[in-house]
Amino acid sequence: MGVDIVTVSRDTKFVHLAWQQDEKELANVKYSMASDVKGDQARLFGVYDDGIGLALRGTFLINPEGRLMNAEVNFLNVGRNIDELMRKFKANLYVAKKPNEVCPSKWKDEGDKTLVNPGAKMVGKVHEALKG
Amino acid sequence: MPDTATASLRVGQQVPDFELETYEPTKGDFGKFSLAEQKKNKRWTILFFYPADFTFV
Repeated sequence: MGVDIVTVSRDTKFVHLAWQQDEKELANVKYSMASDVKGDQARLFGVYDDGIGLALRGTFLINPEGRLMNAEVNFLNVGRNIDELMRKFKANLYVAKKPNEVCPSKWKDEGDKTLVNPGAKMVGKVHEALKG
Repeated sequence: MPDTATASLRVGQQVPDFELETYEPTKGDFGKFSLAEQKKNKRWTILFFYPADFTFV
């Protein structure tokens, strides 16, 4: 789908290697594991917690032009849901392809109802547009 | 305490080019991630921050 997933923590690449080889849950991972030792990238994306000196669980979608299109940050103790991440990625791909459409909250995949050319006529009429 | 959120990137903004050293599990070798390369190759990127290796969720 033209996307690369990169995990980022303050661990070195050596620790990433050791963790991936040790933890059986990670046996089949395909993504790159990046090292942000000084926390500079975590700071840039606003997920560096100065109190604990670690990054929060932040997920960021960057388009092929280098623009930040989506951001989600969870606190340390709640994991992220890959289905919701993929939904948001697919929605971004879709509207990048079809700039005159927008994906409503219930949109899940190509073929689901979108709103086409939202404008003056649709103000206050989203319900009708979604049913139509 | 500094408010990290105010100085950081917002959705819709351009991300400055950056590079990070990586471990590549598919190759069993070290590598590099470069946002400039991603742009050149017209690839989307999902950055997935987490506190530390050997944690749980």
